[in-house]
Amino acid sequence: MTAPSGVGIGWRPEIAGFVAELPGLRFVEVVAESVPATGPLPPGLAQLRERGVTVVPHGVRLSLGGAEPVDQARVAHLAAVAQRLDAPLVSEHIAFVRAGGLEAGHLLPLPRNAEAVDAVCANVARAQAELPVPIALEPIAALFDWPDDELDEADFLTEILDRTGALLLLDIANVHANARNRGEDPLALLDRLPLDRIGYVHVAGGAEHGGFYHDTHTDPVPPEVLELVRRLCARQRPPALLLERDGGYPPAAELRAELDALAAAAGFPAVT
Amino acid sequence: MIVHAASGDTWGIPGPTFLRLYLVATAVVVALAVLHRVRLATDGGHASADPLGPQQVAYLNGGPALAVHAALGGLRGSGAIGVRPDRRLTTVGPAPTGLTPLDGAIHWAAHQHSRVRDLDQNDRVVTALAQLRTGLEERGLLVSPERRATARRWARLLAALLVLGVVRLFAGLTNGRPVGYLLLTLVGVLVAVLLLWRVPQTSRAGRAMLRDLRKRNNHLAPASSPAYATYGAAGAAMGVALYGTASLWAIDPGFAEQAEIQRQAIASSGWSSGSGSSGSGSSCGGGSSCGGGSSCGGGGGCGGGGCGG
Repeated sequence: MTAPSGVGIGWRPEIAGFVAELPGLRFVEVVAESVPATGPLPPGLAQLRERGVTVVPHGVRLSLGGAEPVDQARVAHLAAVAQRLDAPLVSEHIAFVRAGGLEAGHLLPLPRNAEAVDAVCANVARAQAELPVPIALEPIAALFDWPDDELDEADFLTEILDRTGALLLLDIANVHANARNRGEDPLALLDRLPLDRIGYVHVAGGAEHGGFYHDTHTDPVPPEVLELVRRLCARQRPPALLLERDGGYPPAAELRAELDALAAAAGFPAVT
Repeated sequence: MIVHAASGDTWGIPGPTFLRLYLVATAVVVALAVLHRVRLATDGGHASADPLGPQQVAYLNGGPALAVHAALGGLRGSGAIGVRPDRRLTTVGPAPTGLTPLDGAIHWAAHQHSRVRDLDQNDRVVTALAQLRTGLEERGLLVSPERRATARRWARLLAALLVLGVVRLFAGLTNGRPVGYLLLTLVGVLVAVLLLWRVPQTSRAGRAMLRDLRKRNNHLAPASSPAYATYGAAGAAMGVALYGTASLWAIDPGFAEQAEIQRQAIASSGWSSGSGSSGSGSSCGGGSSCGGGSSCGGGGGCGGGGCGG
């Protein structure tokens, strides 16, 4: 297992053939819930592992931010996937996807208060007890804030990371989205986050609709987000950047150009 | 021991003698047929290192119809053709560069507003398909009709022996002679005839090539919902070539429906994220190959005497 490094891309079955052809690729991420705990690995993933490419399982259904204890079966699955992919770390979101038995089908933001911090930390501790590798936590993009927020974003995250010892999976597009939608300065948030705790960084595309920036993952990475990558790397360059594309896949040349732009912005070698 | 012909023997030949001669004759013919088949399988034209193009793969996998559909997939993938409300093809802009002869023929037919179902009667398309076929035969991936006929020659001789045996059986029955062993023998000969009669159009090398291609291109399997925009026209054509017109429907359902293209999946050897199951990759392609229970699958080819099925 090698820690994520350089520029990577989110592995999806739809673009497995494209990812397999990237000569300089050292690191991908895969949605943990899409990898079976037993049986054959998706063929494209198996080949990447044979090439020595680091594969990080990225959970989306753990609901670490839920008020109820995290589902042990889901944690066990994440642990099994991490083991079979020989992953150096796993990642999940600081969010909840179900409450009171109802599945939201979305990552929902937590109110930023002491109770939420306690709930998240308790769940992260439960997960950490079962996981064979460190976990990186990803704050999500929120189109709204809860009215009873007591902490700001930076304090909320720092508190959780300090108490759990988890790594930070920073989504730079979310930083842009939140700042843009709240009318704040994204650099002010970067200045207050523990950048030395970053495991790797997500970069995704989005689009403006109705005066809001939506973190769609199906649009190109906008120049503002690339600029934010540059600013982040100027402060402290993270070990790895990962392009997330979940749909609206463009022609291969465009996807390669995005990876190249990302590498150029961060000063990493091109993977194409 | 000499068995003298008795007056009651059918055709003046005693049963055991006939059976012995008959067994030797059929065994020799079966042995020669199998030998011939093995030579046919190994003597497979000149192997070439050139990779097959999507249309060649399609022809190998599903014959001329699939080759046409693969070309349609490629042309549609590059946006060169469209379909009109009257279900006739049409061209969009000038012909792209780097077209194969079949692409060119279909692009021309689309320019003439042909229907998809009429393409196989278009002269230029027919010529291009014949070229594809010849190329595959020269590479030993497809078996030419002449070679198939030659390969069947021994099966024909065996069938003649079968007829002889059946005649003897009825003659024996009318004579009231015992025919149990002969009947058993005839069942065996019938099975051998049926097995040897099948000469698949795709050679063993061709089937191995298809297996390898499916393995290397399993990202194009419909189960992966391939991003055809990312894989481009060549990926679209290869997807159709390996996985049938179901891929064409996935690439552009509007086009496929309007152009009246039958939805047909060929092999599902892809990985699907939902079930986590995996196809074996050895599934048979097309309607052409994979005869009997003997071949198709496994690395070692067929066992027993039914080889070449």
